[in-house]
Amino acid sequence: MTAPDRTTSATTPRLVMQAKGLVKRYGQVTALDGTDFELREGEILGVIGDNGAGKSSLIKALSGATVPDAGEIYLDGMRVHFRSPVDARRAGIETVYQELAVAPAMTIAENLFLGRELRRPGMLGQLFRMLDKPRMLRESAQYLAELQIGIGSMSQAVETLSGGQRQGVAVARSAAFAQHVVIMDEPTAALGVKEGTQVLELIRRVRDRGLAVVLISHNMPHVFQIADRIHVARLGKRVALLDPKVVRMSDAVAVMTGAVTAEALAP
Amino acid sequence: MKLSLAELGPALALLVACAFFATQSDRFLTGDNLSLVLQQVMVVGVIAIGQTLIVLTAGVDLSCGMVMALGGIVMTKLAAELGVPAPIALASGVAVTGLFGAVNGLLVTSIKLPPFIVTLGTLNIAFAITQLYSDSQTVTEVPESLLALGQTFTVGGTTVVYGVLVMLLLYLIAWFILRETAAGRHVYAVGNNPDATRLTGISTHRLVFGVYVIAGVCYGIAALLSVARTGVGDPNAGQTENLDAITAVVLGGTSLFGGRGNVLGSLVGVLIGGVFRNGLTLMGVSSVYQILVTGVLVILAVTADQLSRRGQGGR
Repeated sequence: MTAPDRTTSATTPRLVMQAKGLVKRYGQVTALDGTDFELREGEILGVIGDNGAGKSSLIKALSGATVPDAGEIYLDGMRVHFRSPVDARRAGIETVYQELAVAPAMTIAENLFLGRELRRPGMLGQLFRMLDKPRMLRESAQYLAELQIGIGSMSQAVETLSGGQRQGVAVARSAAFAQHVVIMDEPTAALGVKEGTQVLELIRRVRDRGLAVVLISHNMPHVFQIADRIHVARLGKRVALLDPKVVRMSDAVAVMTGAVTAEALAP
Repeated sequence: MKLSLAELGPALALLVACAFFATQSDRFLTGDNLSLVLQQVMVVGVIAIGQTLIVLTAGVDLSCGMVMALGGIVMTKLAAELGVPAPIALASGVAVTGLFGAVNGLLVTSIKLPPFIVTLGTLNIAFAITQLYSDSQTVTEVPESLLALGQTFTVGGTTVVYGVLVMLLLYLIAWFILRETAAGRHVYAVGNNPDATRLTGISTHRLVFGVYVIAGVCYGIAALLSVARTGVGDPNAGQTENLDAITAVVLGGTSLFGGRGNVLGSLVGVLIGGVFRNGLTLMGVSSVYQILVTGVLVILAVTADQLSRRGQGGR
């Protein structure tokens, strides 16, 4: 990972990812109605919005799961065109999906390296395509320790873990391979209070490692707890970009539901 | 990785069965008898390799035995009646079974049809083509070169068929690939959680398609073994192997829900069937009891799988 250039960030924070005027229609339904999006380097951007506000469509467009009908997406200032999640991944954007995206019967190490397995050096790896299991176990243990995810054995099947630990593995996997951005879709939705808090702390550590995080959540307290800025989606548009240190939660909800406009909140 | 009950159970059942038959018949544990068991299961054994791969992806292939029969007819007819050289006849037979695998795989991945229905269809199609092409006649006067794997060699006074070595070698290869390579682990991953696997960037369609094609190739090799064992091209081959292969996979502890199990378990499953048939015959008991016992064991195996999944909270 290259050290981000912080010299200019005091005045104009560098944008890791940006989107302008994204449009996505499904038949008669307009899911994205020209929404904008911006993500600064090293920040956690909360994305909130009512059902049907275009949160998931936005995230799908940013993660390559759908191709927008119109609009532009920039990564590090460069225009990008994602045709599939694989494209987005190659560009350094990792996504943690709402459903716990792990293979339950497989080990933690296998899940962490799924799709990016390490092969043995030399002939065993090249000719027989043999996996370097010891190295993957070692690196998994080291990595999870760095993120302070307390799991004993990397050769344990993921299904033997608690829900929070499983989500921890999913988050850790994304963070391990992301170069720019980690997108998390409701990472705490399926979890209890304590485990949800642990995952939030993990997300903070992921940001502290230098990655920009997009956090989509229905859980307002969670968003307000860790987001640096909050993108409010409504009717397929971005209606506000709020600072959780200034704006109260009830006001954010009011903007989200359309009870007040973002301009009305401005002091 | 620790061995679980699902992995040890089948081996234990096989050992118990062997111990039981050893007490019932002096001949059971002789080298020649055990070699005979292996020879009897080599065809279904090779089919079960392909079947295991498919079941690991949470699929099932009902067409396996019929596709094998078609492969056998194609290779024997080409060699015996058209005088095609054996290697080309063999390759043609394997190409046909591989093609059936490709059709199954394409329908399952691209059109997302349930494997059960797709292979139920191809089962009938393969059977019909086999009957039509062979005119329901057994193909005889198969050239020796196609029967080579039915030849025997002697080791320590025990006569062994070459085909058995082919089967064991294929199991070894399949075991290695499934356990030690990324492609093998992806087969488990796609059976475990296809969406999660796709989202990691693995092309799950290509993977599952490939599994069906490889399974088809396995059926082609099984066809060669079947031809070598019987010396003829039999249009009615594969009818018992069809379900026996699925039975063996289930007995071997591979979950029909996909993502769990291993191919060596299927070898154990195949051997359980073979040992029961052989042992009961030695005891002079009707082999219908073997079918009865197999039926009970299958239900036990699936129950154990279901209970262990429930114990772990399923997926």
